Amino acid sequence: MYAVETKGLTKRYGKTMALKNLDFTLNQKEVMVLLGPNGSGKTTLLLILATVLKPTSGQARVMGFDVSTQSTRVRQILGIAFQEARGFWRHKPPEILRFHAAICGVPKAKRDSVIEQVLKELELWDARKKLFMHLSGGQAKRMEVAKLLIHRPPLAIFDEPTSQVDLRGKRTIWEHIHKLRDEGSTILVATNEVREAEYLADRITVLDQGQSVVCDTVRHLKDSIAGGDIVEIELDKPVDAQLKEALNQLEGTVKVVTAAENQIRAYVSIAEAWVPKMTSLCYQRNHRVLSVRVTEPSLDDVFLHFTGRVLEAAPVE
Amino acid sequence: MSSVIRLIWFDIKEELSPPVWLFMEWIVFGLQLAIYGALISQLVTSIEDYFQFYAVGFIIMMTFEVGSHTGRHFVEHAHEGRLPYLLSLPIPRYRLFLAIALEGGVELGLMLAVPLIVTLSLIGNLTAVSVAASIATLFWLGFGVAGLMLALSFIAFKSSDIYTAITAAVSTLMIRFSTVLYPLIFLPASYASAAFFSPLTYGADLVRLFLGFDPGLLLEPRYAVAVLTALAVATLGLGMLLLQRLVEGVKSA
Repeated sequence: MYAVETKGLTKRYGKTMALKNLDFTLNQKEVMVLLGPNGSGKTTLLLILATVLKPTSGQARVMGFDVSTQSTRVRQILGIAFQEARGFWRHKPPEILRFHAAICGVPKAKRDSVIEQVLKELELWDARKKLFMHLSGGQAKRMEVAKLLIHRPPLAIFDEPTSQVDLRGKRTIWEHIHKLRDEGSTILVATNEVREAEYLADRITVLDQGQSVVCDTVRHLKDSIAGGDIVEIELDKPVDAQLKEALNQLEGTVKVVTAAENQIRAYVSIAEAWVPKMTSLCYQRNHRVLSVRVTEPSLDDVFLHFTGRVLEAAPVE
Repeated sequence: MSSVIRLIWFDIKEELSPPVWLFMEWIVFGLQLAIYGALISQLVTSIEDYFQFYAVGFIIMMTFEVGSHTGRHFVEHAHEGRLPYLLSLPIPRYRLFLAIALEGGVELGLMLAVPLIVTLSLIGNLTAVSVAASIATLFWLGFGVAGLMLALSFIAFKSSDIYTAITAAVSTLMIRFSTVLYPLIFLPASYASAAFFSPLTYGADLVRLFLGFDPGLLLEPRYAVAVLTALAVATLGLGMLLLQRLVEGVKSA
């Protein structure tokens, strides 16, 4: 049985289609990352699974329970850390967590010790006497994550869990998410940060415009891009269309993309053989190569490859 | 502790930290009664004990205010992001909505506690039954108003400005065109016909009847009971239905 399974899941907000016939599966005890830009439907999918939103059509099941008709059972199985940590302005962190623990059925005898431990691990202990409204953005965000670490549900959903959190805090949260998975929870994370996706994911689903574009492991996704290497080239002057076309015609070129006015990014089969040909071509066309960098594909490249668009430049919701 | 009580307690605790607003409400009641109530009762001679009539009217207005607040509170929760959190908790939906409605009742009880004691002691000569019946009427009216505001709150998901304007207009009209401050028999015909559309008319007259005011000044109690019951059941039912459908399908929530 899948931890999550959706079939033809569609969500419409007026004229906007947030999800379009989404078929999606999540295996038990894996970390699945939903990668996509703002407006790609990640949060909508998470809210439907958490039974906060109802789908317009299609089906979604969590551990076999239908989110529309068995919503209370679904909520007993999962927990969600929301993208926006808001509300409960005049409560202190331990009070909020105590309330959450009690509602989610954490045994009374364990509550205080677990809350203390989580507050310390997420570096919120010193802020325990502050009201929620006086916490910083990063602290408030860590409070969202803290709720799930106290609850430890069989399915834990994180919506951009480390946005507004500093690098050290990010690493702490990522380690806790892996620990949750190691203890048997299934994890679903939505993010538009490739580093976070790469660090956390057992598998990644690339979402774009409400549809699942591809789903696989990080390694397989990177390997699936035709052309094993990426060459980033900086030129002394703006790249013209003729040069770009000529580079596209070079043997071993898979794709050439303009990265900036005088920068191009080429997806090539073997960089060692391609770079000398490229430099002589540029020389012939009166372009001087200022720098060359050879890298392996990133998840940005994976997104570009499968959607034809740059992850950061995708439309904002 | 059941999840409903826990939800109510968690929210009320936040409302009461600090409890300044509650003391302010009591102080406003005291001042209004001591200054305006005392003065106006000197001017109004056609009604015996207008001071007490006014005190009950002011309590009805406070009841309306708490009922409206429950609806507004719900909208604020939606906009603050608390509502999605509450909707994600492992609680059946009916318990969540029950908690929201009962919280309005608890707030009403807190806010009216002191003004009611003061008013009842001013009136004096009351039986336990009449006091209980008048308190029950206030809560019933409070539920009806809260339900009405909850039902209207779906507007706020489209535009909070329009919602604010509509609730302000509803509040203004319902209080002015009612028998909260003046008996129906003294109202000009056009105003009196408008007053029949205000639930406050029925709430105010029924409470006054239970507290021993002259029945000649008041509406037939059977109508009042029927209207208040219809209002509470219809608006709470409609409110829950609309919210169940709208909240779960409205992105901003």
